[in-house]
Amino acid sequence: MAPKAASGKEKLIDEEDEVLQAVILADSFDKRFRPLTTRTPRCLLPVCNASLLDWTFESLALAGVQEIFVICRSHAGQVKKAISESKWSRPGSGIKIVPIMTAKETFSAGDAMRDVYTRGLVTSDFVLVMGDLVSNIRIDEVVRVHKERRKTNKDAIMTMVVKESGVAHRTRPQGDSAVFVLDAETSECLHYEPVSAYPRTSMTRIPREVLENHPEIEIRNDLIDCSIDVCSVEVPSLFQDNFDYEDLRRDFLHGVLTSDLLMKNIHCYVAKEGYAARVKDTKSYDSVSKDILSRWTFPLVPDDNHPGGHVYQHSRGNKYIASDNSVSLARTCKVGNNTLIGASTKIHENAQISGSVIGRDCVIGAGCIIEGSYIFEGTVIGPQCVVRRSIIGAGVIIKEKTRIEKGCLVGDDVVVGPLAMLDSFERLSKKRGEDDSDDDEDEDEEDGEEGEDGEDDDEDEDGDDEEDEDEDEDDEDEEDEDEDGEDSELEELEANPVKTISVLGKDSNAVVWPRGPPPQDEDEDGITAYKNQLIRRLGNDGSDLELQSEDSDSSNEESSDDSSDYDSDTEFQISGEGSGSSPLTTPSLDAFMPSGQMQESEFRIEVAQSLERAFAEGHSVDNAAVELKTLRMASNVPLSRVREAVVSAIVEDIKIVEGAMPQRKEISRVVGRWGELINKIGGVDPVETISALQMHCASSERFPLFGQILAELYQTDVVEEDDIRAWHKTPEAKGAGLVGGPTAENVKRCWAIGSKMIEQFDEQESGSESGEEEEGDKAEEGDKQGESEEESDSESGSGSGSGSGSASGSGSGSGDSEGDSEEEQESEKE
Amino acid sequence: MLEMDIQRDLVPQEFLAVILAGFGNELSPLTSDHGDEPCLKALLPVANTPLIDYPLSWLEQSGIKDVLLICPAIHRPALSHHIHSHPNSLLHIDIQSYEETPDSAVGTCTLLRHFAGRISRDFVLLPCDFIPPPSLSLISILNKFRTDTVSDGLIATTCWFTASKTDKTVIPDEWGHIAPPVSIVWDKPSTTLLYVDTPDDLDRNSEEVELRMSMLSRYPRSSLSSNQQDSHVYVCKRSVLDVLQEKHHFDSFREEFLPWLCKVQYQRAKREKYEHILSSSTNTSQSQALRHSTLSSKSKAQQAPHVHKSKSTATSAPQSPIPSDPNIDPHPSLRVGLHMHRNGIAARVNNIHSFLEMNRHFLTSASYSLPTDPTQRALIDQKAQISSDTIVGESTQVDERTSIKKSVIGKHCTIGKMVKIVGSVLLDHCVVADGAKLDGCILGKNTVVGAKAELVRCITQPGYEVDPGENVKNEKLEISDWTAGAVGDSDSDSEDE
Repeated sequence: MAPKAASGKEKLIDEEDEVLQAVILADSFDKRFRPLTTRTPRCLLPVCNASLLDWTFESLALAGVQEIFVICRSHAGQVKKAISESKWSRPGSGIKIVPIMTAKETFSAGDAMRDVYTRGLVTSDFVLVMGDLVSNIRIDEVVRVHKERRKTNKDAIMTMVVKESGVAHRTRPQGDSAVFVLDAETSECLHYEPVSAYPRTSMTRIPREVLENHPEIEIRNDLIDCSIDVCSVEVPSLFQDNFDYEDLRRDFLHGVLTSDLLMKNIHCYVAKEGYAARVKDTKSYDSVSKDILSRWTFPLVPDDNHPGGHVYQHSRGNKYIASDNSVSLARTCKVGNNTLIGASTKIHENAQISGSVIGRDCVIGAGCIIEGSYIFEGTVIGPQCVVRRSIIGAGVIIKEKTRIEKGCLVGDDVVVGPLAMLDSFERLSKKRGEDDSDDDEDEDEEDGEEGEDGEDDDEDEDGDDEEDEDEDEDDEDEEDEDEDGEDSELEELEANPVKTISVLGKDSNAVVWPRGPPPQDEDEDGITAYKNQLIRRLGNDGSDLELQSEDSDSSNEESSDDSSDYDSDTEFQISGEGSGSSPLTTPSLDAFMPSGQMQESEFRIEVAQSLERAFAEGHSVDNAAVELKTLRMASNVPLSRVREAVVSAIVEDIKIVEGAMPQRKEISRVVGRWGELINKIGGVDPVETISALQMHCASSERFPLFGQILAELYQTDVVEEDDIRAWHKTPEAKGAGLVGGPTAENVKRCWAIGSKMIEQFDEQESGSESGEEEEGDKAEEGDKQGESEEESDSESGSGSGSGSGSASGSGSGSGDSEGDSEEEQESEKE
Repeated sequence: MLEMDIQRDLVPQEFLAVILAGFGNELSPLTSDHGDEPCLKALLPVANTPLIDYPLSWLEQSGIKDVLLICPAIHRPALSHHIHSHPNSLLHIDIQSYEETPDSAVGTCTLLRHFAGRISRDFVLLPCDFIPPPSLSLISILNKFRTDTVSDGLIATTCWFTASKTDKTVIPDEWGHIAPPVSIVWDKPSTTLLYVDTPDDLDRNSEEVELRMSMLSRYPRSSLSSNQQDSHVYVCKRSVLDVLQEKHHFDSFREEFLPWLCKVQYQRAKREKYEHILSSSTNTSQSQALRHSTLSSKSKAQQAPHVHKSKSTATSAPQSPIPSDPNIDPHPSLRVGLHMHRNGIAARVNNIHSFLEMNRHFLTSASYSLPTDPTQRALIDQKAQISSDTIVGESTQVDERTSIKKSVIGKHCTIGKMVKIVGSVLLDHCVVADGAKLDGCILGKNTVVGAKAELVRCITQPGYEVDPGENVKNEKLEISDWTAGAVGDSDSDSEDE
């Protein structure tokens, strides 16, 4: 016991010597704060008048981190400048902060981690956080637990800090939470299920194999993922090895947990005390600000340890007013609870401010009402304005009697008003240049729209779709804002003004941002889906969109579950679907269908071209098959489409020649050469092959060749006798489901040809050697060749299809065979 | 005893116990017919006590007096004979039978629907094969039910125990498979059963356990235990039967109805539909009248969804201010509670493994001593070696130089000379001839083992005869033709009487 303890102590001493490193990913890799973030990186957005990055530094300093690498990409210069100006860069701060500029091509957290690896920044266990963290959790404790665990389990590569809260906690992002499945004893993370609000995740699926080794499991749906990860040095190298990891959770965590090869463990540290949250979207911006104001983040509060170095006076009701006596409050103004007012700000008479943060050097005009809003520094709000639950950037001028409704984001230096009316969730940014020449035009247009567009958000979005398209494509190309991109984007915006019911006022220099969903939304997964983003906006109280989706989904859920119950609750199902889901799902379906069809027709053309090349250049069958498989994977079409395409390509390759014999030779040449390709495309389904052949022939000029081709396929063993019988029995083969027209007629005739072939099979099995025509349309052809063919036919037929003898006895054969079969039957009777 | 008396006086006739005695097909060949006479699962002795006596005495301890015993019609005479020959003075046992055969056994739900008319109170549903450990008292389960029904409208309480790890090497595969443990999801603070993984779920998705988010948002911190066994002891409100009446297609209570019942509380459509049935209390005429009132039930159903939402937020830990609703849910929770039993060995003797295991479990606490009664004593030869971890039934004869270790020997057995019995279970009326060796065997009743036969890990059907000198290993010995052994059987039967 004693020596062990001693060695443990030694180790501890060693660890203390080690510098605790942290890596901050200071880029958000998304665009949720636009247009606020067009000119400043998100990590420099002020939260309670201190930049997010400062809050993050403060959180890390609290945890005893000594060396911090800040990975920045967009507006890196600004970040670097901010770091050099911050109090942490002063000598004696005890923390070394190194800004790392990463390449513009860094599009995701995964890329940033790969950059960390290639630069060899970290030397031991390190703390990985995002640049938008506000936390007072003792990360050093987590690091200790992590290192302790590493001593016994070298595979425990990462410890995620998760915070216990409630399901509906305000800092728990509704659109982007997750279910953590943990081992009850070790808190090893066994499964991670991201939960999105739209499309609503209705199920958590826990792999059963997890249960085998872990009899007691906790399923936690009440955790806030703080994105504080204590990582071992292996973690960046894992990113390096798996170049497709992008998101830390959805890719990396999921990848490690599901990998059979890695055998690495990831643990969770469930923090019961303390506060940690990320400012991931405008909604969490709101909730984190509120949490800071109501002192959940203590000791990180405005009146103490304010990361921006400001000094505030805290008074009852969580009012914070800059304590350098520079704030001028009019005698009749009302400052409500949970409000912070920055230095040198002037509040005029009768202004009411509650639940808001006002930056430095702001002016709030007389009679203004500011509720739950965040106003950055240097903004002037004219008299009689109303601002509710919005974020107003720095240097904004809001002229008199303007109303700004919930959820609006107003970019830096925008001028709106006078008498402007901003609709909910409007986003504004300043036009390039200062010329306001086309303002009046804009306004007129907007006034005109007001009547047509109605009040409904959804409708508004749909209407906007077409116009937004160009702009949104742009959006997708560049992952984050940078100066050039922003300009071109703004240019687009100005070229195509967005219809809106908002009135910007005659002095405005603002452009309205589009609010429609990006057109290629279907490709994106749950978390980034557009509807999901809507929920995460500031001021979204789930009144419109969220409730709808929840209602429809939950009723679907009931019905699907009750499907095992015969008396299922159909009435709920119907009413639920009728009212709720349709407005949400139909547009997306409409958008999806044409693209799917287009893909298929495109695929058909590509297959035809590929086979044409193969036929012309004489590729080997295997090579052609590989090419087809690649095509299929690329365009994601079902196998049956490939088969149809191949069959039709082969049929079309057969040249129509005069005379029976040459034609037959031509068929056997083509089918003999390429027939086996049909079964090499990745799956064998001869019945479908015959159907495809039938359908193709019925609508092709090569219809008369159907029988011969089928016979040839049979000869080359691409299809067997049983398959022809099976095909013959399907209702589709008889032309079921086709209405009139020459095609249906041809389909029926093909079926008749098939019937004849089957009759022949029956006869062959019953032992008759009658030479007879196999194809209906060839009945008039010379019999001798036919006979010789038939003989070989019958041989192979009896060899392959001997099992189906019982199917014989159809008796009434046609033509010559009738007598024979009758004889046969008679002899049997005797 | 005191507690029992108080209960009887204060809360008369609170519960009705319903015991279901089935065929025990999983216990074959021990429960296979012996001639024309069925061998009842309920009367299969474990440590020389018939199975049915375990739940009966458990009930007796809990103070429940009224018992409805449901059995197949052909079992009725034997069962009623047993019950009346061993008068359990405190219990009033009403035996009801149901026409069924081992091949077409009727599901537990069907039985309950059929006998619902006889169940007019809250009831305790028990199997005939559950052997509770001494550390688990039915009273604790009943009390849990009592408090939870009153406090928040719980509708049923279940009892689960940790599945014992069976050593696969001891038991040959020929004896049949071991019942796999069940995965359940439950909420620890409120001890609510949320989800039971059924064979149907396994069929639907054999790779993953699918859990609904609606459940996880109501119970954000639930536990998944994957090694649990259902004791099949359910304390239910009478109203549960009313719902069962409406769900005609449910067959098994454990595998179908209970998993469904767990979901009622958090699935809105189900709740709306069944809330008025489930939440009505049963015993008063007033509630009967209320149940028929469309007015009250409708208003409840309409309010229900809103209440849920507010409740889900209210359950979260208030670490930071949350939009919580101060109203306490006035509606019944309709949840299914659970009692998790973790210490002490419990088992349902519904397969051969647990049969052997429970027999062996009782042996660990057994201490054999020679019978004091002189006539009994005379049957045991002085030169016989019987180790202390053995149970020997009355009127069993053991001859000289026979050694018995770690075994249960039934009543009226005859064991010859030089016999070696190790780790075996012999049911009543077995005859083991001289020089035979038994190792790890289970002999059905009236089994005859010939001289010098050697059986290792074998199980025999009642009445089976092992030829002298035969050497069998790892076999399930069943009788194909009954005419051969008919004479011997009638002999032993007459002896029995």
